[in-house]
Amino acid sequence: MWVVILFLGASLLLYCLLAGADFGAGILEVFMGRGKRRAQRTIIDRALGPVWEANHMWLILMVVILFTGFPAVYSRVSTNLHLPLTAMLLGIIARGCSFTFRHYDAVKGRSQRSYSLFFIYSSVWTPFCLGVVTGALVPGGIDPAATGYLEGYVRPWLRPFPLALGGFTVCLFAFLAAVYLIGESPAGAVRSGFARRAVVASAVAVAVGGLVFWAAEADGIDLAARFLASPAAAACVVGATFSLPVLWLALAREWGWIARILAGGQVALILAAWFAVQFPILVKLKNAPDLTFFNSHAPEATLYQLNLALTFGAALILPALYFLFRVFKSESPAPDAH
Amino acid sequence: MQDLLAARSQMAVSLGFHIVFASIGMAMPFLMAVSHYRWIRTGRPVYLDLTKAWSRGVAIFFATGAVSGTALSFELGLLWPRFMEHAGPIIGMPFSWEGTAFFLEAIAIGLFLYGWNRLSPWVHWGVGLLVGITGVLSGIFVVCANAWMNSPAGFDWVDGRALNIDPWRAMFNPGWKSQTLHMTLAAFEATGFAVGGLHALLLLRRPGSAFHREAFKIALLIGSVAALIQPLSGDRLAKGTAQRQPAKLAAMEALFRTESGAPLMIGGIPDVRERRVHYGLELPNLLSFLAQGDFRAEVKGLEEFPEADWPPVAVVHGAFQVMVGAGSALAALGALFLFLSARRSPLLLHRRFLLAAALATPLGFLALEAGWTVTEVGRQPWIIYGIMRTRDAVTPMPGLVYPFLAFTSVYVFLAAVVAWLMHRHIRAADREYQSSRPEAIAAGPGSGRHGASHA
Ligand code: HDD
Ligand code: HEM
Ligand code: HEM
Repeated sequence: MWVVILFLGASLLLYCLLAGADFGAGILEVFMGRGKRRAQRTIIDRALGPVWEANHMWLILMVVILFTGFPAVYSRVSTNLHLPLTAMLLGIIARGCSFTFRHYDAVKGRSQRSYSLFFIYSSVWTPFCLGVVTGALVPGGIDPAATGYLEGYVRPWLRPFPLALGGFTVCLFAFLAAVYLIGESPAGAVRSGFARRAVVASAVAVAVGGLVFWAAEADGIDLAARFLASPAAAACVVGATFSLPVLWLALAREWGWIARILAGGQVALILAAWFAVQFPILVKLKNAPDLTFFNSHAPEATLYQLNLALTFGAALILPALYFLFRVFKSESPAPDAH
Repeated sequence: MQDLLAARSQMAVSLGFHIVFASIGMAMPFLMAVSHYRWIRTGRPVYLDLTKAWSRGVAIFFATGAVSGTALSFELGLLWPRFMEHAGPIIGMPFSWEGTAFFLEAIAIGLFLYGWNRLSPWVHWGVGLLVGITGVLSGIFVVCANAWMNSPAGFDWVDGRALNIDPWRAMFNPGWKSQTLHMTLAAFEATGFAVGGLHALLLLRRPGSAFHREAFKIALLIGSVAALIQPLSGDRLAKGTAQRQPAKLAAMEALFRTESGAPLMIGGIPDVRERRVHYGLELPNLLSFLAQGDFRAEVKGLEEFPEADWPPVAVVHGAFQVMVGAGSALAALGALFLFLSARRSPLLLHRRFLLAAALATPLGFLALEAGWTVTEVGRQPWIIYGIMRTRDAVTPMPGLVYPFLAFTSVYVFLAAVVAWLMHRHIRAADREYQSSRPEAIAAGPGSGRHGASHA
């Protein structure tokens, strides 16, 4: 079971670090000045094109692990959070399609503007919904016995904490994207533009992060106290906070790789802190025992097979993924065939 | 609209949409691999143009397939949480293998589409082939899961709970071989005839275009081979259905009474109230032979089952007729194509033959959608055959009609956009690629042989 949990955590982390940044790139397009828009878009297109489908697979992996390994969680979450999940799916569809259509439309005409519009707004919308869904697992608003529509299907997520977490996710992804894109762009105005945005996004993320704690209190979760009570979580938060100045320095100097590692590390620390606080609870329920890793897992035979599939799969996927990134993310951006 | 009906319709729309893109994703990489191989081997530009033109179209289909597939993996839970709660641990294994296959596929497609200048030709070719292989594997894995819904195995059902789960036996359930074979062939057949038919149409408009001629031949070759094997694989599948899901078989054939020496019913309108078929053509004893391999064998009719457990007979029977009808037409066309190709006959590019191929463009996908209707509607009222009813699996959330309408409108809109994009893509290809124009006949050695036959 520990292997399965490890894979679940790793998929979540990699989804945030990789696909999160892909969404973030779309979010950044919202804030693009007119002058440099074309240059920035080219960089984003080139950065996302070859990898977004692969990055997106971490989400599928998470879903598969959940319904195979923790079916009770999957079933509970998809029942009561039907609405935000559906909203997220529509965002995923719009983002993937508009990005691809924009790149592959044989005629580059007026329709480009519509694709961009869909791409930008779905890039903001999808991470927001993802944050809302994640946030709804925490406050214990999901009541398996609820009968009313509002009680059962709206109240679990329409509350301060999930909404704040949605906003935080958007900021975090935009921040990641800005940092990654520094390394994708040639030195010059565009690159320093991304560096500047990364600084702004990190500052906003810190502010919204504070808001999350406040929203948690408003929602009746003593989040701050729980963070302090868990030494691991506290250490992670401290680590994330104190690495910020170093990151800002790296951004000011446009040190691409150092900034990337620091930014990725910070997101990893935030997720680790979250995990430490929550463990072993997966979903907090109202009027019923919480769903934990220990009481919601599938029978041993299934976990064993899942284990095998994941380990074998990882042995195939990781080298392939390494090759993909080495081909497209090493070196200076080469001209594209298309 | 009733909630259960809305959920079923949403599932049908989403799967019916996804399967088109999934089939193209399974078969197109192989078509591209053939043309890519010929480019590397012969160096004739027409094959490079073709590979590139196809791959740009495929990129659009891939993205749409990927996002609609993602939606599906959530929809299984959003619509059928009680089903997934029990089925997840049992059939999660094919899904997790499928995840691996998708992952490799997504990596390979990135490498293939953007790798023209970065990979050596043979590595690039191999990566393209890998896209196809992983695509077919993912199709096989997910159909294993579906075969399990039709012929559940690998667990004991005790008081509404699954005990003694054996994921291995669940995945390799009695139906998996015939169903995955049939589906894989269907993907090649449908895609081959759709692509070949489109290029035939373009060839009719621009006779002599080497680009469309080569495309037409490659696509129809693959489609035809699949079309000839498909009836055999369908026959094998039907024998399994007769054994494992007799009610579905009876509905497919609109057979109300149990009979020995049962006739095969072609066409007709089943009348459930009177338990007979109007206007059908009966071929005596043939059903007994097809289902059991013996002209005198007994075939179970619907009367053996409580009427509440009948699937919608008219839909299942009608869909089955459509599939077999389209399949027979394509098999005939495929046989003719293979015959003419083998004899290198100029008739292959005759207007009449091109017209027939162009008319057959939608038939493969029509058969494919009809076949899934047979399988899925024919399983009703069960979601897991004989174990769990569809109505017990649906989510308790009310108002399901709204998500259904939302998804349906998104998919209708997407289908329209993709069609429009393909239209632009084809027009652009005609402008962009030298080989697409008639004068390109002389471009390469031997390419002019059929060109003049109808210029
Ligand atoms: C190009 C598409 C295509 C063509 C030409 C055919 N089929 Fe088919 N058929 C499918 C595509 C398909 C499918 C969509 O792929 C299905 C649905 C589930 C499956 O595994 O295959 C299917 C299901 C399906 C089933 C239902 C199995 C079950 O649910 O238990 C039967 C009995 C047949 N087929 C039989 C045939 C026969 C006798 C054909 C003779 C020509 C034929 N099919 C042509
Ligand atoms: C409940 C049913 C299904 C689910 C949950 C599902 C899930 C998915 C997912 C998550 C993807 C995205 C993978 C990617 O990013 O590449 C996908 C794509 C794909 N699916 Fe499905 N799928 C289902 C039915 C089917 C069926 C019946 C087939 C074919 C037999 C199929 C074949 C494929 C293929 C080949 C792709 C690759 C994408 C492409 O080539 O366009 N799927 N599916
Ligand atoms: C991609 C090709 C497929 C198509 C076109 C298809 C089509 C359909 C249709 C028409 C229905 C509605 C039937 C009815 O309620 O009357 C349905 C239901 C359903 N299908 Fe499929 N199906 C496909 C593959 C699959 C696969 C691979 C799976 C699962 C592994 C699956 C799982 C389901 C489930 C869970 C339902 C709802 C419950 C039910 O109606 O039995 N389908 N599908």
